[in-house]
Amino acid sequence: MLTTDAGIDMDAALRESNVEDVLGELDAELIGLAPVKLRIRQISALLLVERLRAQMGLTTAPPCLHMCFTGRPGTGKTTVALRMAKMLHRLGYVRRGHLVVATRDDLVGQYVGHTAPKTKEMLQKAIGGVLFIDEAYYLHRAENERDYGPEAIEVLLQFMENRRDDLVVILAGYKDRMDSFFHSNPGMHSRIAHHVDFPDYTLDELMAIAELMARQQMYTFDEDSRAAFGEYLRLRAGQPHFANARSVRNAIDRIRLRQAVRLVEQGGRISGEELARIDAADIRQSRVFQGNSAAAAEASARSLL
Amino acid sequence: MSKNLTANERYRAGVIPYAKMGYWEPDYIPKDTDVLALFRVTPQEGVDPLEAAAAVAGESSTATWTVVWTDRLTACEIYRAKAYRVDAVPNSEGQYFAHIAYDLDLFEEGSIANLTASIIGNVFGFKAIKALRLEDMRIPVAYLKTFQGPATGVVVERERLDKFGRPLLGATVKPKLGLSGKNYGRVVYEALKGGLDFTKDDENINSQPFMRWRDRYLYAMEAVNRASAATGEVKGHYLNVTAGTMEGMYERADFAKELGSVIIMVDLVAGYTAIQSIAAWARRNDMILHLHRAGNSTYARQKNHGMSFRVICKWMRMAGVDHLHAGTVVGKLEGDPLMIRGFYDTLREPETPVRLENGLFFEQNWASLRMVMPVASGGIHAGQMHQLLHYLGEDVILQFGGGTIGHPQGIEAGAAANRVAVEAMVQARNEGRDYLKEGPEILERAAKWCAPLQAALDTWKDITFDYTSTDTADFVPVATPTY
Amino acid sequence: MRLTQGTFSFLPDLTDEQISSQLEYCLKNGWSINVEYTDCPHPRNSYWEMWNMPMFDIADPIAILAEIDACRRAHPHRYIKVNAYNSARGRETVALSFLVNRPAREPGFRLDRQEAGGRTIRYTLHSYATDKPEGERYGNS
Repeated sequence: MLTTDAGIDMDAALRESNVEDVLGELDAELIGLAPVKLRIRQISALLLVERLRAQMGLTTAPPCLHMCFTGRPGTGKTTVALRMAKMLHRLGYVRRGHLVVATRDDLVGQYVGHTAPKTKEMLQKAIGGVLFIDEAYYLHRAENERDYGPEAIEVLLQFMENRRDDLVVILAGYKDRMDSFFHSNPGMHSRIAHHVDFPDYTLDELMAIAELMARQQMYTFDEDSRAAFGEYLRLRAGQPHFANARSVRNAIDRIRLRQAVRLVEQGGRISGEELARIDAADIRQSRVFQGNSAAAAEASARSLL
Repeated sequence: MSKNLTANERYRAGVIPYAKMGYWEPDYIPKDTDVLALFRVTPQEGVDPLEAAAAVAGESSTATWTVVWTDRLTACEIYRAKAYRVDAVPNSEGQYFAHIAYDLDLFEEGSIANLTASIIGNVFGFKAIKALRLEDMRIPVAYLKTFQGPATGVVVERERLDKFGRPLLGATVKPKLGLSGKNYGRVVYEALKGGLDFTKDDENINSQPFMRWRDRYLYAMEAVNRASAATGEVKGHYLNVTAGTMEGMYERADFAKELGSVIIMVDLVAGYTAIQSIAAWARRNDMILHLHRAGNSTYARQKNHGMSFRVICKWMRMAGVDHLHAGTVVGKLEGDPLMIRGFYDTLREPETPVRLENGLFFEQNWASLRMVMPVASGGIHAGQMHQLLHYLGEDVILQFGGGTIGHPQGIEAGAAANRVAVEAMVQARNEGRDYLKEGPEILERAAKWCAPLQAALDTWKDITFDYTSTDTADFVPVATPTY
Repeated sequence: MRLTQGTFSFLPDLTDEQISSQLEYCLKNGWSINVEYTDCPHPRNSYWEMWNMPMFDIADPIAILAEIDACRRAHPHRYIKVNAYNSARGRETVALSFLVNRPAREPGFRLDRQEAGGRTIRYTLHSYATDKPEGERYGNS
């Protein structure tokens, strides 16, 4: 332990913790998400300073680390949770730094007495790392009296309170539903230290993601198809069940399908450049352009757009 | 049919070189079902190596020194062994490795006696060959499946003893000869109570004027049970059932079972058929079978002539023994560490690849035959525990005969010293320490609270056996470090 | 008497830190862990009571130590052991097993002898503890 006079070399501490590496990985892996990356950087600074203060004897209780990530699907919540687990490990807050992903079905049982051991089992696997609970609000099905969700929530709360040194919990889901979940479960709300909101990607960012995905699979857009895809994104994002990066991935898959069909029907000699190129036609066939938003939404929900 | 001769030429009366009789077939690709053998051949002066290899193939299968017309009454192509590859042995002038393939139909199912009679029964005295050594064999899965394999095996043995995660400990009762039954039992009791898992009859303790077998069995089992009550552990004494006749062996084995022993032992000199019979008996009667490799050094020790011990390892695993003495590396008996690694892997692994530096010349799949527990016995003591664990691993029986009974504070203390040493070393290994380097320190630390271990270390710390091995690898430089 | 079952029973009873080290080794090898307890330590007793279910896919020994502690609190006067299980092909058996709790007093075993034909004796071990019914053998648990 350092005395209060000695002072700390912040640069050395930063270097030692390797936090920059993790933040760098985050930057490289995820396009855009500027507000999220800023928030993560803030949290990591806080955690680093907390640790240094502890070394100086300046803290009393260990910090609360549980978090809540809100945002639509496909906005990078799971990826960031994984990086967060690494970061917590680098900063010495968790011993292993692995991530365990759980949904309601992993935590809640189907009959009396089933839930507590089930939840405990998930928690045992997550000890030393991070437990990421996706769509956490499903734990609480208010309309069903015999729902065993509250039992799972009880066990979770106990763990989050008593075993703070051993485990970090990250809840995730749509913002409005998380808000009402917290409203009905103030105990849970009070244990969350950090809320991070994951806004939807901007259209430019989604376009960049599309380009990256296409490039990774050795396809290229030309000017026309790029413009067409931009329009597609604009239309699609406004419709329900839009899952950001995931939706872009699905769209690319369907585009590849249409391109393949086009080339086969075209016949004759095909150049390598043609095999790689995405045409505007491959995009404009989408139902999204037909202006029928209800049908489009339904088709999207079945990944047909 | 030999490439170079027509049927007429091949079967005309007279003498033809073996290589032309069809025993040398360089284009032959061994089938998965062939039994393969590797011989180290030293031809006599002036004898062509290919001809020598073909002669070995011939004389270990269908050939006679002259052509016989009756060959034509058989599908002789199949019954001829084929030498398909001959390599010069590195660094050994005049020696050649001959690879020979034998068709599966040459062998009786489930019979080591037949396998050995076929391969080594005839060829070793052949004059054209100055020296001959059977180095290795590849037993096809098809043939392995006709054998019982180890009666108990490592996994079930551990489950019966309820002992996991560390080498097992044993000791041969000393002095080798002369004790009467009652005094013999005293040694067993002290050693087992002190902390060993097993004690052992020596290979030549069968039934002699100074101690008949029934007395030994009765007193040994009294000792085993007393020790079990004192410790709450399953204990055993290898009761040697070797006798002059098979009937005698069965009688002894039955008595061992009646007295509730978990284990019996037999000597290699009892013979392959006796060993197979007693292994089958052991399987039927839930008995662990220990094999002492008595006599193998008469033929296994010299590199140029005889049979490599690794072949015995293979045959004995097939025959069905559960324990086999296989070398200690650091003890008083012959054992080059690389060769011993080959023996241990042959006994313990579910399959072994070609690994020339360990003397493994063939890929060998054991077709899920159970694993044999190797036994390390001969001049080892607690002070070598780190080396033993490193070279021999965890599934092994470490036998400290002199190292237990010669302890200055008595047998019980000797046993405790060994047991504490092995547990402390395993604990340190699991904790991730570099136990090979820090071994002496780990032992010293344990000795601080275990006086018998301190005494053992003090008594034997300077004992090493530093002689150059005779049976060494061909594929690394011959000089191996001594300990 | 001191029951010397388990891999480390000739060493002084393991501290929680030493237990944690051994558990690390087991987890690193991918072995699953279970905790068992008994008040019948006969060497042929293959089936001790399981404390909860075996634990698979655990990353941190702390989770297991919590179970061991819970078992110790529930059954302070029983033998408790930890087993690590290797499910690899050809092995499918326990890889490591050691005691983590003992009753304060271990009365041990009596060797019963029944004289049979000739000089043969039929032996059986009798655990003194089992003179009392289950639950009363080593103190009240």
